Amino acid sequence: MTVVRIESLSKVYGAVRAVDRISVEIGDGEFISLLGPSGCGKTTTLKMIAGFEEASEGAIRFDGADVVRVPAEKRDIGMVFQNYALFPHMTVDQNLAFGLEMRRVPRAEMRSRIDRVLEMVQLSGFSGRYPSQLSGGQQQRVALARALVIEPRILLLDEPLANLDAKLREEMRVFIRDLQRRVGITTVYVTHDQAEAMTMSDRVVVMFGGRIAQVGAPADIYERPQNLDVARFVGQVNLVSGTVTSADGGTLAIDTAFGRAAAPARDGLYPGQAVTLSLRPEAIGLGAPGKAGAPGRVEARYYSGSLIDYRVALDGGETLHVQSFPTVAFAEGDRVSVHAPADRLWLIGAAQ
Amino acid sequence: MRSRVLAAYCILIYLFLAAPIIIVVGASFNAGNFLTFPPQGLSLRWYVVFFHNDVFMRAIRTSLWVAAVTTCVSLVVGTMAALFYVQHAGRWKETVRVAMLAPLLLPEVLTAIALLFFVYAIGIGTRSMFGMVVGHVLMTLPFVFINVAASLESFDPDWDMAARSLGAGRWTRFRRIMLPLIKPGVIGGALFAFIISFDLFTISFLLKGIGTSTLPIQLFDYLRTNFTPEAAAVSTLSVLLTLGVVIVSDKVLGLKLHRF
Amino acid sequence: MSAASAAVAPAPSRLRLGPLVLIAPAAILLAVFLVIPYLNILLMSFRAPGQGTPYGEGFTIANYLRFFSDGFYIRQVANTLWIGFLCTAICLVVGFPVAWQLARGSPRFRAIGYGLVLSPLLVGIVIRSYGWTILLGNNGLINRTLTNIGLIEGPLPLMYNALGIVIALVHVFLPFMILPLMAAIQGVDPSLETAARSLGASRLTAFRRVTLPLCMPGIQAGCILVFVLSLSAYVTPSLIGGLRVKTMAVTVVDALIDTFQWPWGSALALILSVTGALIVVLFARLTRMKWKVART
Repeated sequence: MTVVRIESLSKVYGAVRAVDRISVEIGDGEFISLLGPSGCGKTTTLKMIAGFEEASEGAIRFDGADVVRVPAEKRDIGMVFQNYALFPHMTVDQNLAFGLEMRRVPRAEMRSRIDRVLEMVQLSGFSGRYPSQLSGGQQQRVALARALVIEPRILLLDEPLANLDAKLREEMRVFIRDLQRRVGITTVYVTHDQAEAMTMSDRVVVMFGGRIAQVGAPADIYERPQNLDVARFVGQVNLVSGTVTSADGGTLAIDTAFGRAAAPARDGLYPGQAVTLSLRPEAIGLGAPGKAGAPGRVEARYYSGSLIDYRVALDGGETLHVQSFPTVAFAEGDRVSVHAPADRLWLIGAAQ
Repeated sequence: MRSRVLAAYCILIYLFLAAPIIIVVGASFNAGNFLTFPPQGLSLRWYVVFFHNDVFMRAIRTSLWVAAVTTCVSLVVGTMAALFYVQHAGRWKETVRVAMLAPLLLPEVLTAIALLFFVYAIGIGTRSMFGMVVGHVLMTLPFVFINVAASLESFDPDWDMAARSLGAGRWTRFRRIMLPLIKPGVIGGALFAFIISFDLFTISFLLKGIGTSTLPIQLFDYLRTNFTPEAAAVSTLSVLLTLGVVIVSDKVLGLKLHRF
Repeated sequence: MSAASAAVAPAPSRLRLGPLVLIAPAAILLAVFLVIPYLNILLMSFRAPGQGTPYGEGFTIANYLRFFSDGFYIRQVANTLWIGFLCTAICLVVGFPVAWQLARGSPRFRAIGYGLVLSPLLVGIVIRSYGWTILLGNNGLINRTLTNIGLIEGPLPLMYNALGIVIALVHVFLPFMILPLMAAIQGVDPSLETAARSLGASRLTAFRRVTLPLCMPGIQAGCILVFVLSLSAYVTPSLIGGLRVKTMAVTVVDALIDTFQWPWGSALALILSVTGALIVVLFARLTRMKWKVART
C-alpha cells in the first residue's frame, strides 16, 4: 500500500488562496480525515490529490514519486463521490467492471473480484440491478465497491455520507471504517461532520481558510485544541476566562472560577495577563448548592435521552454549557454548585 | 366540480386541436368525388389514384431525401454546438443560446427570402437543392440543439470524474459514458429535425427549383385548384408516415433509455 | 473566525481554442446563411426596381415611399397586425385553462395531454390549413352542422375572410401558447397560493395577486411567440384568405414569386417586421412595468 506525502500544496485563484501551503504525511494504511467548515479547502485538496484540480504550487507524492503532473485517470486512485456518481445506464455489475476493463483485467478474474467485493459490501445478488433500483445506502455501498474492486493505491472519499439520513449515516460510518481496516488501504476522507471524523479516523486534519489548523489523533484534537477555532469546531466547548498568577519553573499557574489550573509556560504569557481556557461540557459536574465549587443557577435544561444538557449561569457572571448523565437531575431555576477538575481546563491562549 | 368543468373544457380544446386532422383523414375515404366530411360512402379509391400519381410520388421522394440530408447535417452541427454550449461556453452561454435559437425567433418567411436572394447573389440560384437544404438545416438546427443540450445538462459531471478516477481516457469516457447518456437527446433531436423538415413549406416554396417539389408544396398547389379527396389521401399518408417515424424510432432506439 | 470564501472556481475568462472547433460549424452556418442574407434583405429594400429582372441598378428609397403613398398597404399592415392581436389574445384566453390543467393536474394525464398538445405539430401546416378549409367553407362541416341543428339559417361566412384566418391561426399556434404557459405555471410553487389563502385571500385574489404576476414571464413569452408567428404566417392565410383577403406575408411572397419585385417585397417585409418588433418591445416594457415581472 501507499504512503502519501503532501508538500506545501496550494491552489490559487487570482488573489485568493483556496488552499494555502498544506503539508501532511499520510502513512501506509492510515485513515486520515480532512475536517472543516464549507469553503475551508478540504474538497479542493482532495480533488488535487485525485487529479481533478491542478495544483498551483507544491507536490503530492505517492510512495515518493510526485504525481502533480500525472492526469487523474493514470493515478490509480479509487474515489467515492458524495452523490455516488454511479453510471445510471449500467448495472451494478457493469459499474464495478468498468474500472477493471480500463485495466484490462481478464474476464474470469473480473468475475471473481466483483463477486468478492460485492460480498464485502454485503450486496451479493444485486449484480443485475440498476442504480435507480437501489436505495441511497445501497448505492453508496456500490460506489465504495466500485472504488475498491480495482485495488487502487489510495482511497479518496468526498463527504460520502452527506446525503444519507442520520441513522444510516451512523451505520455506514462503522461499515466503512471496518472495511477499510480489513483491506488496509491508505484513505483520505473529507467531511464537515466532526463526529464522523473523530469516530472513523486514525488522524484528523482540521482546516480553516485553506490552511491546516491542527493535525493529530482525535483525542488530541478534542482534548488539546491548539486554538479557539479548533476548540469551537470540534465538539461543544466552554470558554472560561482566567488570570495568570505565576510563571516559574516552566509552568504557568492560572486562576479560574474552578480553582487553579496549570499549563506549560508559553511565550508571551506573563503573570497578570488574562487568558482563555477551554472546558468540555461533560467535564463539568453539578452538585447541590453549598457543596464545593462555584455557585450558580440552572437557566435551561434539555433532555435528550442518554444525556441532559444544562445552561448554567454562574454567580460570577459566566454562562456554561454542562452535559451530564441523567443520574442526577436538576430543574430549571435550581441553584447548584459547579465544579470541574483542574486538569480538564486546557489553555488556549491570551484572551482576545 | 370545478376540476370536472376544467377537464371537460380541456377535452373540448384537445378535440379542437385534433379536429382538422380527423377531418382530413376522414375525408380521404370518400367514395364520391367531393371533398366532404363526413365522407359520403367509404372507399380507398383516392388512395389508388394517388399511388398512380407520379407527381405526388416524386414529391414524397424529394421530401424524404431532403429530410434525410437535413437531419444528418443538423444532427452533427447541432450536437457539436450543444456540447460546446454545455461544457465550454462559460460567459458566452446566453449569447450562444440566443444565436442557436435565432432561426426559430425569426419569421420563416424572412429567412426564406433572405436565402433566396443569397443563392441568387452567389450564382447558384434555385437550380440546385443547396439553398433548400441550407434553409431546412437552419430551421431544424434549434430543435436538435435544444434536445441535445437538455440531455447534456442532465449529465452529472461527477459521472465523468468517476470514470476518470477509474482510469478511463477522454475518448473512452465520451464513448462509454457520455454518448449513451445523451442518446435520448440526440434521438429526440433527430426525430424533430426529420419531421419538421418533412413538413416545412415556406422555405421549400421559395427555394425550390423549377420541376422539383416537396410534398407540402405539391399539396398546396393541388389544394388551390383541385377539390377532390385525392389531396386528403396524400395528407393522411403523410400523417401516417410521420407517426410511423416517431413510433419506430421510439421503440427501436429509445427503449433502453426509459430506465432513468 | 477566518474562513476564506473562495472555494468556487471562477468560470474561465478566456475560451480555450480546442473546444471552439465544436461551435465553429454552427457559427459559420449562422453567420454566412443567416446574418449576411438578412443584412442583404435590408440592402435589397433600397435597390431600384428592375424591368424584367428581379432588381435594377442603383439605390433608392422609392420602395418605402410607395408603401406610404398608398393607403391600401398601410391598411393591409394594420389588418395583419389586428389579426395578430386577435390570434394572440384568443390563444391566451383559450390556452390558459389548458396550460393550468396540464401544470397542476395529475402527472399521469400530463404526459398524455402534453402529447395531445404537441400532436398537431406533427402534421404539416399545409394539411392542417387544408382541414380548416374543409371545415370553414359555406358547405363545410361547421356550417352544415349548425344548419342541421337549426341554429342558423344561411351559412356563416367563415372562409375568405379575417375571421376564418383568425380561427385557423388560433388552431395552429395554440400549442405555442400552451407550452410556455404550462412551463410558467409549473414554475410557481402551489404552496404560495395556499399561503395567501391562509392569510385571508379568496381563491381569485390569491390567483390574481400571487400566481398571475409570477406567471408573467411565461405569459409574456407565449404572447410574443404567438404574435410574431401569426404576423409572418403564410400558408394558413393564403389557403383560407384566398384571393380576397391577403395578409402581409402573402403579399410579400406574391411580390417575390409572382411579380418578381424583390426590392418592393423586401421593403414590405422589413416594414412588417420592424412594426412587429416595435410592438413586441412595447408590450414587453408595458407588462414589465405594470406587473413588476420578476427577472429570473
